[in-house]
Amino acid sequence: MAQTEAELLDNPVAGEPTLILRSPDFHSITDAVAEPVERPTPRAWWYFFLPSVAVLGLLGVSVAWLVWEGIGIWGLNVPVGWAFDITNFVFWIGIGHAGTLISAILFLFRQKWRTSINRAAEAMTIFAVMCALTFPGIHVGRIWVAYWMFPLPNQMGTWPNFRSPLLWDVFAVSVYGTVSVLFWYVGLIPDLATMRDRAKTQTRKFAYGLFALGWRGSVRQWHNYESAYLVLAALATPLVLSVHSIVSMDFAVSVLPGWHTTIFPPYFVAGAIFSGFAMVLTLMVICRTAFGLEHIVTLRHFDYMAKIMLVTGTIVGYAYTTEFFTAWYSGNPYEVYTFVNRAFGPYAWAYWIMFSCNVISPQIFWFKKARTSIPILFVVSIVINIGMWFERFTIIVTSLHRDFLPSSWDYYTPTFWDLSTLLGSFGLFFTMFCLFVRFLPMVATAEVKTVLPQADPHWHRGPERESKDHRAALRHGGTPDPVTEGAS
Amino acid sequence: MSAHRDHVELRPEQVAIPPGHSWNRFPAIGAGCAVLGVVLCAILGMGNPKQFLFSWLVSFLYFLSLALGALFFVLIQYAAQGAWGVVLRRIGETIFATLPVMAVLFLPVVFGLGVLYEWAHPGAAEHDALLRWKSPYLNVPFFLIRAALFFGLWSAIALFYYRGSRGQDATGDASVSARLRKFAGPSIIVLALTTTLASVDWIMSLTPHWYSTMFGVYFFAGSFLGFIALLSLLAVRMRAAGLLDTVISTEHLHDVGKLLFGFTAFWAYIGFSQFFLVWYANLPEETIWYKPRIEGSWLPIALLLMVGHFIAPFFYLMGRSVKRNGSTLSVGAVWLLLMHYVDLYWQVMPTLHPEGFSPSVLDLAAFLAVGGCVIAAVSWLLRRQALVPLRDPRIAESLAFENA
Repeated sequence: MAQTEAELLDNPVAGEPTLILRSPDFHSITDAVAEPVERPTPRAWWYFFLPSVAVLGLLGVSVAWLVWEGIGIWGLNVPVGWAFDITNFVFWIGIGHAGTLISAILFLFRQKWRTSINRAAEAMTIFAVMCALTFPGIHVGRIWVAYWMFPLPNQMGTWPNFRSPLLWDVFAVSVYGTVSVLFWYVGLIPDLATMRDRAKTQTRKFAYGLFALGWRGSVRQWHNYESAYLVLAALATPLVLSVHSIVSMDFAVSVLPGWHTTIFPPYFVAGAIFSGFAMVLTLMVICRTAFGLEHIVTLRHFDYMAKIMLVTGTIVGYAYTTEFFTAWYSGNPYEVYTFVNRAFGPYAWAYWIMFSCNVISPQIFWFKKARTSIPILFVVSIVINIGMWFERFTIIVTSLHRDFLPSSWDYYTPTFWDLSTLLGSFGLFFTMFCLFVRFLPMVATAEVKTVLPQADPHWHRGPERESKDHRAALRHGGTPDPVTEGAS
Repeated sequence: MSAHRDHVELRPEQVAIPPGHSWNRFPAIGAGCAVLGVVLCAILGMGNPKQFLFSWLVSFLYFLSLALGALFFVLIQYAAQGAWGVVLRRIGETIFATLPVMAVLFLPVVFGLGVLYEWAHPGAAEHDALLRWKSPYLNVPFFLIRAALFFGLWSAIALFYYRGSRGQDATGDASVSARLRKFAGPSIIVLALTTTLASVDWIMSLTPHWYSTMFGVYFFAGSFLGFIALLSLLAVRMRAAGLLDTVISTEHLHDVGKLLFGFTAFWAYIGFSQFFLVWYANLPEETIWYKPRIEGSWLPIALLLMVGHFIAPFFYLMGRSVKRNGSTLSVGAVWLLLMHYVDLYWQVMPTLHPEGFSPSVLDLAAFLAVGGCVIAAVSWLLRRQALVPLRDPRIAESLAFENA
């Protein structure tokens, strides 16, 4: 092994840090990523897949019972008419944002480390959007009128309200889903072609070949591909901001204290990226070990992701603090009451879970030891996801449960079916993710190759090279030729 | 990325204002403007002290926001360890080094508190329940303590980074970079909190009944964009004047242009979100701030902001060639610097002139006075120092930077 983890994590004050360990050549990257998909299904995969499917089954049962019985099976009542359904929707939409940020914004910011994780993160985005869309679809318990969400007149000739952010959500999320799928798929094409070329059976060759769209890896194709990728990145960038901004408007356009506040759009976006990165981290910690990709998804990547979580977690903390201060500063008794009630009322437990998970726990990432410790990263990433779910719960339920008239005060408690639907959505998510890692290359091999030292057009052998990784690459990697190796 | 990035040596004449160069005159020009501005303010302000104070506040906030934007920019550069911007960092450092000067320029606001801020009128809280509620925060002693705290913290951070970076020019000590990087994160947090509160104190409390959680972010967005515009302009003008023309390349201009483009959109996103949520909810306690600002002759100014601060520069700066050409980039930069002034003017002035836009010579006089001081201070520093961080460990990488 050319570099140790310690050398990898040495923070240089100049030059670019090493991203990929063991100085692989181009071909070994392809091998490392493609082999897990080509091997016979390992037993361990079933250990993840079958429980996920079982939990997905729970979602099916929960939804079936919901459709049969109606939303009375949930804990909703006046005044809390919105609880787990919208909480789960916002939670899942938020999860997706890390994928878009990694694929679009980090691409425009030239963050090369994104290449090791972007494929899996984009897949995560798509599955998270699927989970999110479940909830608007079922939330009135009448699946057969789900089309009322769309800008179409219903049986009574009534159109949905175009001034409602709930309709804007339909546009925002459907654009988001479409662009995410496109981006992910465009990125997959070269790798699908690789899988096709490596396929040993006719079925695999046909299946991968069908979706590879006749990719041959010619210079002209790569040129068009790169242009398309840049355009898609530019189109996806505003979506990182717009989707969750519009989701935040579901609440912020109302006149309800606790919902109506101007900082909501960027605050929701920061929270979405925060929770999304936590989920990427949870998944990558598992996947890189399960598929032996520790040299491609390294502690350096985790280090960077932890920093993004520290930044976004702190931004979220800034928003909590600003909201609280401004509620007092406003002098509006309802604003003041809502926030005091949030922190010290019957849902104080939820508020403080939110605050400690989201603001306090990521502060551990000021320390490099924590940013590069797999157990700490794994635990904190899950803690953050719990905290971000509670953030939405706190915002939604605490603002509703004490209406302006004390006669309209209530305490919302979730029922079994509330909880089973939430749990079931994780079943859907993990089932999809298991299928993804089983059938598709989970790392964008072509992109990872571009961050290897030998991809630099100025890269050459010779004693004048000072960088250790370059010399090591020569010792271990033979003489890779960027031109002929590019499409392998 | 270049194979030759390890072997770059900057010659001193590449990175300094040579004797006899026309830029050596800027300290005198700045001082001249300042004197002229102060004299005009003194003469005209006698007759209309209220107008003088508001005009001064706008100009003070304008130059302060540019300096704060510079501080944000440099701190983010350190925290993110970006290499591309190293050659531009000294420009930012020199601009935020004026923050202690800004404390002096704040003095007219201190003496005019009772005129500028309704809540500071003697006895204002007696007949106003809301002001009574807010008086633990909005009272003169606490306001002054906060202002002192803001300037103290800003100056401390600014001088710590300025001295650190300047010191490295002499020693070339790489550990300086590591130390400055270490403090960048906490400094950003301090800066974010103090900037937010300063914008609440100095702009939002002009309408003391009004509140908006977005306001601090809005001020930050405008400040950062303003600084990026100033940075673009200075980088282009320096190259044109034969300074740093071998150091700052088209590639650097392109990247600054991208930031200019991006933050034009970010400013609009924040400004729109704030306006839209207030407009949609239509609560009187929130619309009071926007109402005078979108009525009468303030409406054209508001529309000018929408078009001039966002739509026009957004499309103008979108293309690649505009950002890579010095003259087209500087047109965008000058325009956005103007729009940033209009933005602050539109935030502050309707408090004084709710009946409509009413420009005054004092606006110009105050701008000359404050701006003259800042130009004099910045250009005086520029003459005494290298125009780039000469021996930053990433300077070679920055010089060789290319957009892929």
